[in-house]
Amino acid sequence: MKQRRIVVTGIGVVTPIGTGREHFWTNLLNGRSGIGPVQSFDTSAYSVHRGAEIQDFRPENYLSNLDAAHLGRASQFAIAAARSALADANMEIASLDLKRAGVSMGTTSGEPREVERFDDLFINKQLNRVGPEFLKLYPSHVIAAHIARELQFAGVNMMIPTACAAGNYAIAHAFDVLRAGRADLMLAGGSDSFSRITYTGFAQLGAIAPETCQPFDRYRKGMIPGEGAGVLVLEPLTSAVRRGARVYAEIGGYGLSCDAHHMTAAHPNGDGAVRAMTQALEESGTRPEEVSYISAHGTGTATNDRLETLSVKRLFKDAAYRIPMSSIKSMLGHTMGAASAIEAAVCALAVFHDRIPPTINLKEPDPDCDLDYVPNYAREHAVEVAMNNAYAFGGNNASLIIRKCESSN
Amino acid sequence: MRSRVVITGAGVVSSLGDSSVSLQSSLCSGRSAIKPVELFSTAGLGCPLGGEIPLFDAQKYLGRRNLRPLDRTSRLVSSAAQLALEDSGWSDVMGSSEEVGLVLGTMFCSLHTISEFDRRAVEAGPAYASPMDFSNTVINAAAGQTAIIHNLRGINSTISTGTTSGLQAIAYATDIIRSGRAKAILAGGADELCFESFYGFDRAGLLCRSDHSAGDFPIPFDKRRNGFALGEGAALLMLEEASFAHKRGARILAEIAGHGCSYDCFNGDDDATAIAAIGLAIQRALNDAFTLPHEIDCLSASANGSCVGDRHEAHGVFAGLNGQTHKLPITAIKSMLGETLGASGPLQVVAMLESMRDGVLPGIQCLQEVDDDFALDLAGPDNKEIDVQAGLINSVGIDGHCCSLVLASCDVN
Repeated sequence: MKQRRIVVTGIGVVTPIGTGREHFWTNLLNGRSGIGPVQSFDTSAYSVHRGAEIQDFRPENYLSNLDAAHLGRASQFAIAAARSALADANMEIASLDLKRAGVSMGTTSGEPREVERFDDLFINKQLNRVGPEFLKLYPSHVIAAHIARELQFAGVNMMIPTACAAGNYAIAHAFDVLRAGRADLMLAGGSDSFSRITYTGFAQLGAIAPETCQPFDRYRKGMIPGEGAGVLVLEPLTSAVRRGARVYAEIGGYGLSCDAHHMTAAHPNGDGAVRAMTQALEESGTRPEEVSYISAHGTGTATNDRLETLSVKRLFKDAAYRIPMSSIKSMLGHTMGAASAIEAAVCALAVFHDRIPPTINLKEPDPDCDLDYVPNYAREHAVEVAMNNAYAFGGNNASLIIRKCESSN
Repeated sequence: MRSRVVITGAGVVSSLGDSSVSLQSSLCSGRSAIKPVELFSTAGLGCPLGGEIPLFDAQKYLGRRNLRPLDRTSRLVSSAAQLALEDSGWSDVMGSSEEVGLVLGTMFCSLHTISEFDRRAVEAGPAYASPMDFSNTVINAAAGQTAIIHNLRGINSTISTGTTSGLQAIAYATDIIRSGRAKAILAGGADELCFESFYGFDRAGLLCRSDHSAGDFPIPFDKRRNGFALGEGAALLMLEEASFAHKRGARILAEIAGHGCSYDCFNGDDDATAIAAIGLAIQRALNDAFTLPHEIDCLSASANGSCVGDRHEAHGVFAGLNGQTHKLPITAIKSMLGETLGASGPLQVVAMLESMRDGVLPGIQCLQEVDDDFALDLAGPDNKEIDVQAGLINSVGIDGHCCSLVLASCDVN
């Protein structure tokens, strides 16, 4: 039986370098950085002070049915990205069978600020001020649920909290749901908000860079925590063609694996990463040398960038040196569960525009990181097939293939 | 033709036993796990009751392995995984080239770990927060820790859709196997009983009150119900592609015939949409399983004693089965286990497997006065003898998620 082909027809992003596809893409190609001093909480007790936060976000601009006061920040980002993606897809909600419209989202922390509020009240012996809203605002599944409530989507509603690879997981799941014919349209992506808990944890792991994020640079000093959301509109190619939609790209397939090695450190041989990439290539029927762009996980930590380079070389062999591989985390910081969703959006745009965003702050090559990381300047490049790689705590690895959508047959 | 997915083993760590057999025997003897909570203080809370696992010790299941990095939720899951690997005959061949996956449904993973990590950083300063605890604050921590303990290198995913998480995880894993991406996946769910989530549910007014009257326990579908009791547990099933399981000579317990889900955008605030969503999930599961309403031999209901939720489920089942519920035997095991969140759906599946095997469906503990307008055959606390060829499992969330699954007895062997 011939498999349904699934395509990307809408893109919505909320990021530290811009909200909305066009604004974001322009800033991305221009190498703009969204990194600055942390403003959402006091970092004076920390040894690091920088983050990639979203300034001047106005949730009410995206809400018709829900009230921003009753939504956590990650849900607000997610709804904004979902609304933008639907508008970008030129999709009229009124034209949809809402029972067959679904949502699949990923996250690292859900709504951590709700726990932080709980904790502050706990410490101040004011727990009696916690009301029914805690259960309504906090559990991670509310992110996908809030999108559905705002848009009245009554189909599949899925939350996949696989940490920093969650966006890829959520898109992969939506791809399966559509292929299996369980929905007509899926909004898929990821969302996370800047959080004291996340910042503290990465600071204690010694993983946060003091100034900026320099993936693959010899003197890189770590990652920069960020926040944001990315949502894609996914639908079968046949329905996209029927409604005359602009098709950015096709989802070719995916691969998931687990290191089963360490909670926070990748496998020393990049074993799990290689298995995820291999599966994604096989499933999408792609030969390694056909890959024209790799969107790296590229956090900027010493270990990640070295091991990621190693695993790409293990799989792609000589071709690894010919495939551009950039990290947009150099500009956005690490937006956690949103990261691979935003990066999937970037892959779709790279495929659509034949342009590749740069890895900024890459000044001094590292002998261990000797691939083409598209240093500092965006590049025109024919992108037939993009691979989106994401790695997470728990040893969760996810690779996604996003390719040009050849004519509709 | 799509691959068929079968269950070849189960691992259970619950308040009513740590094997399928002991769980079923407790359920059928009408034992309830709901007692005053001892894990933490419930002083000042409306409900002091919970379904706690007494004296849980993961070392009992995992031997001398270093469990120091694992919190309670991760220990529950790792223990259930050990039992499921043993039960399905996988434990001896683990570490070979075959990759077993893990799909875990959990509502919170460990809210206690997250909250404690944060409070320590705030009270003592960020320099005193433990990096090891941080790795357990992610919601996929239990799945990651369990993969490390058991060398599960296949697909590893965590599903969080509230109280339906566990059944959704089984549905997700079923589709992964159907699509040919995996041959064997441990799938199920877990949640722990902890102060932080307990407090949240209590403040939301969802827990049963305790005024020592007849309704101070969760009584699903009863007129006197006034909320549910929180419980805890972990349950994992070994799911395998049928021909693969057959080839390795595995004992096959049942087949996952189909599943379906839907979402109520009004979170149960509107009766009509809530009932329609539950009915839709059931119909989708039946369609996916090529099963007709009259072919369903029994239902394991999601009902937990909640005032609104149970009513919606009663009417949703009637709608989903086209009114063919007049003689349908129904059980609601949350009357004895409490609402175990991510573990609840998988625990229902495990109990159903036992009913298929021994032909007994546990009664609904304490049920005496069924709501007048429930068009269901709710028989009360007595067990029923039944022959289950096809059983329906329902999982209905407190805020809109609906998932249903059809379990079929298997003739693959």
